[in-house]
Amino acid sequence: MAELDPVIHAQARLRIMSTLAALGADAQVSFPRLQQLLDMTAGNLSTHLRKLEDADYVIVTKTHNDRTPATYVELSAAGRRAFEDYMTALRALLGEGS
Amino acid sequence: MTPAEMLALTRAQEHRVEDFYQTPTTIIVVTWGVAWTIGFLALWSASSASPIAVPAGPAAAVFVVLMIAGIVISGVVGTRTGAGVKGPQQVQARIYGITWALGCLAVPMLAGALFRAGMSAEVAALYFPAGYCIVVGILYLFGAALFSDRSMIVVGGWILFIGIVAPYFGSPGNYLVMSLAGGGAFLVYGVVLLVARSRRDRRMVGAPSRG
Repeated sequence: MAELDPVIHAQARLRIMSTLAALGADAQVSFPRLQQLLDMTAGNLSTHLRKLEDADYVIVTKTHNDRTPATYVELSAAGRRAFEDYMTALRALLGEGS
Repeated sequence: MTPAEMLALTRAQEHRVEDFYQTPTTIIVVTWGVAWTIGFLALWSASSASPIAVPAGPAAAVFVVLMIAGIVISGVVGTRTGAGVKGPQQVQARIYGITWALGCLAVPMLAGALFRAGMSAEVAALYFPAGYCIVVGILYLFGAALFSDRSMIVVGGWILFIGIVAPYFGSPGNYLVMSLAGGGAFLVYGVVLLVARSRRDRRMVGAPSRG
């Protein structure tokens, strides 16, 4: 049986990864928008993003919109592959195939 | 959590993102559905063909206010589509939204020049409905290509067809065609979008969606 990636296999992180993947290739999402799409508190989202960042699954960019600091999050190439592998493993467990 | 619950979680998030991009389209479609149905019906009501005699002034005012409201709402909603996301999809969605407002603005702008060149009220009565239909029909077909959405081909093709055919009914018959077949088509499409969404959400009931 395929092992499920423990970095992704947590409710909050799976939801983050699904959202980033669904936003499409090369999409960067602002922190508040991501928070809204997930209904997560800023603190909770930051904690889980840090874990995903440590695994090099997401890239967090701090930038400025005019003078306001803004944080953008995107899936890394490794993150996208890990998410696809996770989904394949999950479907295999459910006997759906990929 | 079981694998099935985890899979349901990912689907719920995919739908959330889908709605994030789709909701603005639904708002724009319903806005134009209401604006066309009531606006063109008002113009027709002011004509001799109508069983109830509505004064021309108020009827034209209703039409103008609804068209301006449509341009403003689709412009605001369009430019806000995908706000907070940077990427190719967001750029596409934003260009599309702005094109809606510009296209619908182009029709009255061109009419201004045509009036100066001597366009009569009778010709204008044929020009406005046809102009809007051609712009909107092509916008839908553009959307169909952009989002690979087949339902938009049907709506776009139909609206374009109405725009080309309605002027042949002459005025004021064309207003009625525009109101019922044009505005009506938008409303039907708006309902189709809402039904598809609620059906999808009903399938998700029972699955955990928040965590």
